Amino acid sequence: MAEATLKIFRGTAERSEYQTFSVPTYQGMVVLDAVHDIQAGQAPDLAVRWNCKAGKCGSCGAEVNGNPRLLCMTRMDQYPAGQPIVVEPMRRFPLIRDLVCDVSWNYEVNKRIKPLAPKPREADGTYRMQQYDIDRVQEFHKCIECFLCQDVCHVMRDHGKYDFAGPRFMVRLAALAMHPLDTVDRLRDLRDAQGIGYCNITKCCTEVCPESISITDNAIIPLKERVAGEFYDPLAWIWRALRGKKADTRNPVH
Amino acid sequence: MPTSVTHDILIIGGGGAGLRAAIAAAEHSAKLSIGIVSKVYPMRSHTVSAEGGAAGVMRDNDSLDQHAKDTIFGADFLADQDAVEILVNEAPGELIQIEHWGCPWSRDPDGRISVRSFGGMSVDRTVYAADKTGFHMLHTLFQTSLKYESIHRYDECFVTSILADDGKARGVTFINMYSGQVQLITAKAVIICTGGCGRIFPFTTNASIKSGDGMALAYRSGVPLKDMEFVQYHPTGMPGTGILITEASRGEGGWLVNKDGYRYLQDYGLGPPTDTPVHRKMELGPRDILSRCHMQEFQKGRTFEGPYGHYVHLDLRHIGEAVIDSKLPFVRELSRNYLGIDPVYEPIPVRPVVHYMMGGIHTDADGKTPMDGLFAAGETACVSVNGANRLGSNSLTELLVFGARAGRAAAQYAEQEPAGPSQPLDALAGDEQRRLEQQYFRKEGGKVRISEIRDAMQHAMEEGVGVYRNEEDLLKTCQTLRDLRHRFSDIRIEDKTDIFNTERTTVLELDYMLDLAEAIANSALQRKESRGSHTRTDYPDRDDENFLKHTMVLRTPEGPKIEYAPVTITRWQPEERKY
Ligand SMILES: Cc1cc2nc3c(=O)[nH]c(=O)nc-3n(C[C@H](O)[C@H](O)[C@H](O)COP(=O)(O)OP(=O)(O)OC[C@H]3O[C@@H](n4cnc5c(N)ncnc54)[C@H](O)[C@@H]3O)c2cc1C
Ligand code: SF4
Ligand code: SF4
Ligand code: FES
Repeated sequence: MAEATLKIFRGTAERSEYQTFSVPTYQGMVVLDAVHDIQAGQAPDLAVRWNCKAGKCGSCGAEVNGNPRLLCMTRMDQYPAGQPIVVEPMRRFPLIRDLVCDVSWNYEVNKRIKPLAPKPREADGTYRMQQYDIDRVQEFHKCIECFLCQDVCHVMRDHGKYDFAGPRFMVRLAALAMHPLDTVDRLRDLRDAQGIGYCNITKCCTEVCPESISITDNAIIPLKERVAGEFYDPLAWIWRALRGKKADTRNPVH
Repeated sequence: MPTSVTHDILIIGGGGAGLRAAIAAAEHSAKLSIGIVSKVYPMRSHTVSAEGGAAGVMRDNDSLDQHAKDTIFGADFLADQDAVEILVNEAPGELIQIEHWGCPWSRDPDGRISVRSFGGMSVDRTVYAADKTGFHMLHTLFQTSLKYESIHRYDECFVTSILADDGKARGVTFINMYSGQVQLITAKAVIICTGGCGRIFPFTTNASIKSGDGMALAYRSGVPLKDMEFVQYHPTGMPGTGILITEASRGEGGWLVNKDGYRYLQDYGLGPPTDTPVHRKMELGPRDILSRCHMQEFQKGRTFEGPYGHYVHLDLRHIGEAVIDSKLPFVRELSRNYLGIDPVYEPIPVRPVVHYMMGGIHTDADGKTPMDGLFAAGETACVSVNGANRLGSNSLTELLVFGARAGRAAAQYAEQEPAGPSQPLDALAGDEQRRLEQQYFRKEGGKVRISEIRDAMQHAMEEGVGVYRNEEDLLKTCQTLRDLRHRFSDIRIEDKTDIFNTERTTVLELDYMLDLAEAIANSALQRKESRGSHTRTDYPDRDDENFLKHTMVLRTPEGPKIEYAPVTITRWQPEERKY
């Protein structure tokens, strides 16, 4: 039977080390299976979050060979045989223990976003909407809050700028901004409280998103254009001139 | 001494039911302070997994009576008909309310909310948001709950007991996962919204947290569990992982075929086969019947054999790539990821897997349990609207309707209750802390592995309480479970640390599940008839004379004790359930 070697980060903020484990591999095995195998025998005290094992609940975010991934959706066979697979917690958040980190900061950020305030209902008490309106927000609603994009974004990861709400919340703000029922203006907040200006469109967030949300193209850029349109700041003028586009923000880029 | 906080209402569980209850209580009165304790972040709750949709009457070609009738018929007449009427009456309002909060329901070309067909429903009445309905609902409820300053969350906190004072529920103790500390919250009312317990079985669509904790907590508090023998098998789970292929795949026209490529359901009275789906026929028959057909095909040797046992094929190829991508994108994604199969070109292997608990904590239509101050809603509760067999897409509706009702009822109750318990609960909480430390945290020298007991329990459940049941196997299973309960006291716990110790919660979950496994197996043993999902080969017929009644199981030191309670019949007299 084939075997794989995993090098797993163990410990707390005070004391940590990498431990190496060997596990038997089989077809279709994902990294979370390997972690479970280790928990079942070699290290029952290995801490990891998981739940659905189907890429839906967003619990199992970690870094595999340095890349933010969902452990339950990462096939073992994509890594070269014979080399250890390194599994670490998401680096950007405070460590709790082993592969578990404290993501509560994200929930604090979320609280600062003004919630949906819908327009009045139609006479029969319902709403009429078109499927294309729904499709547009459904892409953003797909977010499973795994926070892998928050982990990778260099604004916070390397520059420690926590007044930027981060890509996950740009997605949430875009969902609200493009929701056919919403009536709230959040542009000033986007500029000030959520610090959209910090994002310089590196697209790293889009690359790691397990839900394949076009975070940068469909959420951040249209939001930036709206903010620019609202406040006419000179940088935004240049930005728009470079992109050679009108600030038509109702339509996401396809 | 455990640290303590106080709220007016304390909700255990941040899934669909828990969040809906919290919002309802907060809307009832801004003065009430509400706590939600959840062992995972609310967004990780199992409601995210629901794919297909939520049922409610939305169109002129449908009627409340028709929805009620389908539900009662599907329940094989074991549902309480007054509760079903409440469900169907309040469903449309709840579905529109949640849209008002931002839930992106899929639309028809004229801008109205789309509806799709679902097993056992006689017209299209299942509202959906692509194939991530529960996910979108849970997100919407979560974001909405943030609007209320009176709602406080305790995420990643694992409840270990309900504290009672003078026979009334007055608070809970929980382990804070971050510190490992035992903490106490006192409250005037407690609502249990902890979801189902599919993890008692080896093959299930249920995520790892579905260990029925709340059911066990109520059971230990002396509250009866109702109709626990009714366990829903879903006919189309993936072999091995148990990952669900949504029923919507059949609603959109998918076929079930055996190893000869034959649509075998026509041999079991569900025909005739047609190219396009017909309500309540063939692949759109109810789940209990479809699961039994599968088992019979297996016995006839007409299923495939794979590494995880028998399976048949779910064929979507004739529906075409366009429909698969627009209506069932997640089915394609899951098949590709987990089976390496593209359903556009190949059929998907499927088998029956445990999916949903019809039974649960005994409540009335306001979520009240027989214990004062204790309420329950969602999959963990049994109102009962699902009777002996739940129709797909009724449970998302149930958690909205009865979550909201329980939230309001608990709020009213809390408003009338005097300020605090007659004595401080700290002493009780201290006892609980000592119990946990002695039995688990500081336990030395146990010999039995957690996985050993868990595997044995799951195996015993599959053997005795599977799709088909009989007295001999049930007796054996009941005995095995008793033995496992004894062996459990010798469990080995290796992780002695306090921070995020998942071995501790795993062992506490196993403790809960052992209680529930016994409750299920004994309830099934005593029900000597076949009804809905409960099929006894030794009693193949429904027996209304002796068993048109709810099972009520109570916990005693000697094991489960079975009693019965009447079923409420209003306008629909029991008749033979034929499709
Ligand atoms: C794969 C799948 C697909 C489904 N599809 C559909 C569908 O299409 N339509 C439909 O109507 N139904 C569907 N169902 C059923 C439906 O999803 C569930 O019945 C429903 O979501 C249950 O919601 P809930 O709020 O009761 O519980 P859950 O969402 O399971 O939430 C339980 C909560 O309780 C908390 N909790 C549990 N134990 C503890 C403890 N000890 N301490 C603290 N907190 C605790 C958890 O953290 C969680 O927040 C599906 C189910 C599955 C498995
Ligand atoms: S595109 Fe913006 S948000 Fe995304 S990673 Fe780069 S800087 Fe961060
Ligand atoms: S946007 Fe994508 S990467 Fe970011 S939290 Fe959501 S699902 Fe995860
Ligand atoms: S376990 Fe749910 S996303 Fe990985």
